[in-house]
Amino acid sequence: MVPRGRYPLGSVPLSVKERASMSDPEQDRKPGRAELSPDERAAFERRVDQLGDKLKRAEAQHDTGRQGGDALQGRGMAYGFRMSSELVGAIVVGGLIGYALDLWLGTKPWLFLVFFVLGFAAGILNILRAYRQMQGEITARTGGNLGKSVPDDDD
Amino acid sequence: MAAGSAQGTGMPDPIHQFEIHRIIPLKLFGYDVSFTNSALFMLVAVVLSAGMLIYAMRDGSLVPRRLQSTAEIGYEFIANMVRDAAGEQAMKYFPLIFTIFAFVFTCNMLGIIPGAFTVTSHIIVTAALAALVFVTVLIVGFAKNGVHFLKLFVPSGVPIYILPLVTAIEIISFLSRPISHSVRLFANMLAGHITLKVFGGFVIMLLGTGSFAALAPLPLIGAVALTALEVLVAFLQAYVFTMLTCMYLNDALHPGH
Repeated sequence: MVPRGRYPLGSVPLSVKERASMSDPEQDRKPGRAELSPDERAAFERRVDQLGDKLKRAEAQHDTGRQGGDALQGRGMAYGFRMSSELVGAIVVGGLIGYALDLWLGTKPWLFLVFFVLGFAAGILNILRAYRQMQGEITARTGGNLGKSVPDDDD
Repeated sequence: MAAGSAQGTGMPDPIHQFEIHRIIPLKLFGYDVSFTNSALFMLVAVVLSAGMLIYAMRDGSLVPRRLQSTAEIGYEFIANMVRDAAGEQAMKYFPLIFTIFAFVFTCNMLGIIPGAFTVTSHIIVTAALAALVFVTVLIVGFAKNGVHFLKLFVPSGVPIYILPLVTAIEIISFLSRPISHSVRLFANMLAGHITLKVFGGFVIMLLGTGSFAALAPLPLIGAVALTALEVLVAFLQAYVFTMLTCMYLNDALHPGH
């Protein structure tokens, strides 16, 4: 039916399924599962085509991601640490300011609660800013290629 | 240096490596200012980084040799970072930024040597560095822009009725900088070294279990791989610390945006 070579990536699971559907009429043990109608077969082949494309794209993306290797992973860790510390730092500062004001003005625990929430907002603001800066950094380094395109002959 | 080394006891205690020992006990005006293993490794880092750069540039030849080339790459790297992140004006503060980078980088790298003490795995050290940057930013900001520096906290184009809220958030955001700045470096170095030590401990513990000793090379391989990752983290964290210093300085020089 479908030549193996056309689907180099999805060939293994697909061909198993194909063989199963092809062998049914030959063995003729289950009369309920007859040969697929031409329409169904066309639809099936279309789905196989789409799946093959999808797999090809996914594999290409995976390969591009792997080119960065360890350095990329280390950078990812640095980015992650940065995000978490930005958020936690702001919450801690907000809480501390609120607590200090509470002690000073004797309004326990209200200002702490207010400033804790404000600290959370500041943390999110920090993260958004850090994200924007990282985005710029990554775009500058990769030229906007974040691993979605397929490597071409120049690579 | 042997007195300052906390390792080599064979005891798998991952925290032991961060203990501070007095090498030369010293008291000054009632304060304990002893020369510790931490101070020793700070001194080693300063001497090593400064010495290497001075030695590399001893000829200052037009066609650089290997060491001079390395030093020049380091200079170009930081100089480009300063120009990109904070503009040409910020080159005035290049000595400070380069010193911070060289110090942090050398401390991080020294810490990877087995038995060495990691200065930057103590939050008091990174907090002092972050506080230095924070105070510098405040001084430069007010000296350059005067009261206009406070514009940093009052973004333009915000409706008046939520301005107090936004200003409070901006101030908290600004004050949180030294905390995240210092915690990041400290946490990375601490976590990395504890992980390394735990893996090292696994090797020792497995060796003492008879037939299971055959598994001992596995954590050893893990430790080797982790060391490679640690080298990367040591550089990246020094880079990130310096990069953020440049960005904060940028805010001090151009508070408008």
